[in-house]
Amino acid sequence: MQHTSWHWRLFKGICLALISLFFLFPILWVLLMSFQTNEDILRVPPSPFFTPTLDNYRALIAGELTGAGSTLKIAYMKNIWNSFVLSACSVLLSLLLGVPAAYAFARYRFRLGENIAFTLLSFRFAPPLLVLLPLLLYFQDLGLYDTYFGLIWVYQLITLPLILWIVRGYFEDVSPDIEHAYRIDGHSWLRSFLKIAVPLARPGIAAAALLAFIFAWNNFVFALILGSSDVQPVTVGALAFITASGIQYGQIAAGLVLSVIPTFVLALVMQRYLVEGLSLGAVKG
Amino acid sequence: MADLMLNSVTKIYRPRGREAVRAVSGLDMAVGDGEIIALLGSSGCGKTSTLRMITGFEAVSEGSISLGGRRLNELRPAERNVAMAFEGYSLYPPLTVRDNVAFALLRERAPREEVVRKVAEVAELVGIADSLDRFPSTISSGQQQRASLARALIRPAALHLLDEPMSQLEPQVRAILRARIKEWLKDRGMTAVVVTHDQTDAIALADRIAVMEASRLMQFATPAELRERPANLFVASFIGEPPMNLIEAEVAVGASGPRVVAPAAGSALTLDLPQTAALPAGHRVWLGLSPRHLAVGQGPHRAEVMVNQWLGDQTHLALEIDGLPLTAVAAGMVDAVPGEVVPFAVEPRGIHLFDCAEGAAIYHGSAEAA
Amino acid sequence: MSFLILDRLTKSFGALKIFDGLSLSVNRGETVAICSPSGSGKTLLLRLIAGIYEPDAGEIVIDGRPVTGLAPDARGIGMAFQNFALYPHLSAFENIASPLRARSVAAPEIERRVRRVAEILKIGHVLQHLPRELSNGQKQRTALARAIVADARLLLLDDPLRNVDAKLRYEMRQELPRVLREFEATVLYVTQDFREAMALGQRIGVLCDGGFVQVDRPQRIYSDPSTIEVARLFGDPTINLYDSQLADGVVSLLGLGLALPGCAGAARRPCRVAVRPEHVQIAVNGEAGERAGLPVTIEAVTPLNQNAVLLLHTAAGDELLATTTLQRAEALACGPREAVALVRPEHLLLFDRATGARIRTD
Repeated sequence: MQHTSWHWRLFKGICLALISLFFLFPILWVLLMSFQTNEDILRVPPSPFFTPTLDNYRALIAGELTGAGSTLKIAYMKNIWNSFVLSACSVLLSLLLGVPAAYAFARYRFRLGENIAFTLLSFRFAPPLLVLLPLLLYFQDLGLYDTYFGLIWVYQLITLPLILWIVRGYFEDVSPDIEHAYRIDGHSWLRSFLKIAVPLARPGIAAAALLAFIFAWNNFVFALILGSSDVQPVTVGALAFITASGIQYGQIAAGLVLSVIPTFVLALVMQRYLVEGLSLGAVKG
Repeated sequence: MADLMLNSVTKIYRPRGREAVRAVSGLDMAVGDGEIIALLGSSGCGKTSTLRMITGFEAVSEGSISLGGRRLNELRPAERNVAMAFEGYSLYPPLTVRDNVAFALLRERAPREEVVRKVAEVAELVGIADSLDRFPSTISSGQQQRASLARALIRPAALHLLDEPMSQLEPQVRAILRARIKEWLKDRGMTAVVVTHDQTDAIALADRIAVMEASRLMQFATPAELRERPANLFVASFIGEPPMNLIEAEVAVGASGPRVVAPAAGSALTLDLPQTAALPAGHRVWLGLSPRHLAVGQGPHRAEVMVNQWLGDQTHLALEIDGLPLTAVAAGMVDAVPGEVVPFAVEPRGIHLFDCAEGAAIYHGSAEAA
Repeated sequence: MSFLILDRLTKSFGALKIFDGLSLSVNRGETVAICSPSGSGKTLLLRLIAGIYEPDAGEIVIDGRPVTGLAPDARGIGMAFQNFALYPHLSAFENIASPLRARSVAAPEIERRVRRVAEILKIGHVLQHLPRELSNGQKQRTALARAIVADARLLLLDDPLRNVDAKLRYEMRQELPRVLREFEATVLYVTQDFREAMALGQRIGVLCDGGFVQVDRPQRIYSDPSTIEVARLFGDPTINLYDSQLADGVVSLLGLGLALPGCAGAARRPCRVAVRPEHVQIAVNGEAGERAGLPVTIEAVTPLNQNAVLLLHTAAGDELLATTTLQRAEALACGPREAVALVRPEHLLLFDRATGARIRTD
């Protein structure tokens, strides 16, 4: 049972390092690329030694793409802002609709309840391309094409089922007796929902919101079809780097790094809420 | 069958990045061949760690464990010749109850008829004869616990370990099962260790009880000794249902010899001690009065009855002397209503004194009487 | 006038009928303990009264007001749950204050009343702690405090001592009657432990097969049970119970004929005969004298705290439990195993074999 000798620990350390390197390699590589010029990246054989440059970032922030002698206007920062608006609003709307719905599905048995919940989940199964063309036609008729509102609406297909199903599980884990006790104390149904159920499911709501945000952020095909560059998010905006005169690897890498930062920061902030609930335990057994 | 020896057994858990935790400290215990002992304590006292070290599920940090003269420390659980009834039953789900119970015998290639006979016998004992052909998931937790007990009791091991053997049983069957299990173990001269938090189980089953608290052994003695001569304040406050009354008091010198005075009750509670009790006057002590030896009905003391609870075969009384609460137990029904002032006597054998600083026992009335 | 009336309540879940015409009335200020085997719906009954579930039929009346159909917050009830059900994200103080906040009591008044009830229940020093920082005993007291703080007219206590250790249970068993007296509460107290029911209930209701089979004072429940279930539920060790025949005023207990004067001349009928372990006397070495007894062997002696249980076997292999004093048990454990069990006819309880109902013998 005593496996704490030094060579065992060394062996474990090496194994862990190799595994981490394997999984982190693509991210590290992209990070390195974002500080290289296209020439450095495309050099054969590739070399880990290069002169770091901030040109890629400078070009993105300025919105001027230079490649092979010509300049191209891009709106990458606008794309990031669009991504943020779309994802944040979609998640907020989904929370507003999904949390009460999740509570209803968790607490009450009603006719067709399971069917409705499953139908909502099944939206996630449908191939997006199948729905997109009819949607495009409708959206053009309704004037929803190329609007934030239209995209946020469509994004509910991504975020709502996710939030509904994750939060439902968390509500089911909250002992109904705690809410019963609150009702018997003399509080109304709404207060028991807002003061007991929601705070106790908060870690779950936070986790679901974060996950939904990431899914929305990473969505590509909805925005590609249903919006123009005015409302398009980074995922679509990155297409601009594939120019007639070649692919701007350095700028793609820099764009990637920039687009990861918001979700990364959000995850760090939310971490506190994710672990918070684990130690709450007033109900025995 | 053999004797179990624990020599300064210690278990230290070293969780990563946190302080080491002593779960068991210097436990010395000798269990004779054919003896039933109980490890008794509340959760976190170290009894389960001790059990797991005996079975081999945990390594011994310091000290040694031996069974029948054979050192166990380095042996794998399967090599220790120990049978165990798990608190969580741990029945094999794909096997019927019958196959679960017979499992160990079949594995040892015992003759078919012998297995059938033994399974029938032990199933009768624990009362699962009707559900032998069912699967564990289809029977109640009480039935599962009985099956788990049967599986352990059927094995001819050197040592039987029963972990909380009664915890899931219906209260109506506990008394008779305790008696049957005790008879089974005694008839076969089996050595057994019962781990429990329920003192009723421990007292009923065990020849001797090891009371544990905060990783240490507080006392290892027969049930009668724990009751009549608790070694320290902890044992006194733990053993007994309800446990002993413990009152801050002082030793004084009276006309007829040493006496003990409880200031909390004013002068209302003063007890004479026999001449032989050599105690310095002014000594601060904990006075222990066992509820069974507070005889309500007549005597020199007066107390107000706060609560009178008749429980069928005994009566529990909450008394107050000048605001000092006392619990008394009587064998039959007591005719007193709340608010009534009743006389009572303290039987000399019910008086215990404990050192105020260390909590060690310094005087037992029963020792004088004997 | 009864304070709480349950009138012919019926409740089913699907095809499973839990209550079938259950009725009970409780007087103002009275504590009724509800005791029953597990799975008979004790907890459900409290939930019906609290309004968490609605009965399928029947009426619940609290203080003259029918409450069936009212939401839980409109019934003015205090309830303590077996699992405490404290609000994990609120301090003990806020937990206890919750019913007062719901009634919009002024802040200083809340402070005063929470402090008072916390003092009585000895948790004044932990009011600022979160539930997870409280010991089990303190959690249980906090839950109790929350139930009584608002002077609820009716207290429903759902096995509140189930999850605390033995020592605390004894403490609370003696303390609770005083607290309840102080708050002049009408209480329904649900428990599985018959001793707890006897200790705390002014009356005890035994719930079995969808309704109350007996509601009576503890003494009567114990000495005069109306069915086999009641007799088996109350008493530790459990009452000894055997199939038998009643003929010509004589009933046979494991072959020992005992004359019941009250039944002389009654028709011959099958029955079950029961005798409590404390009513079985053990005689060894000719102590029995002339009295007719049952020859038995003492198979095991298991001491308890106040007395000892003897496992006896008759020649035919039947088991019989007897209790005796600890001193006597010690002597018996060392003595011969052959003994005679003596039972007095007036201690026998007779039940109908088919229905389990009591057969009166006096």
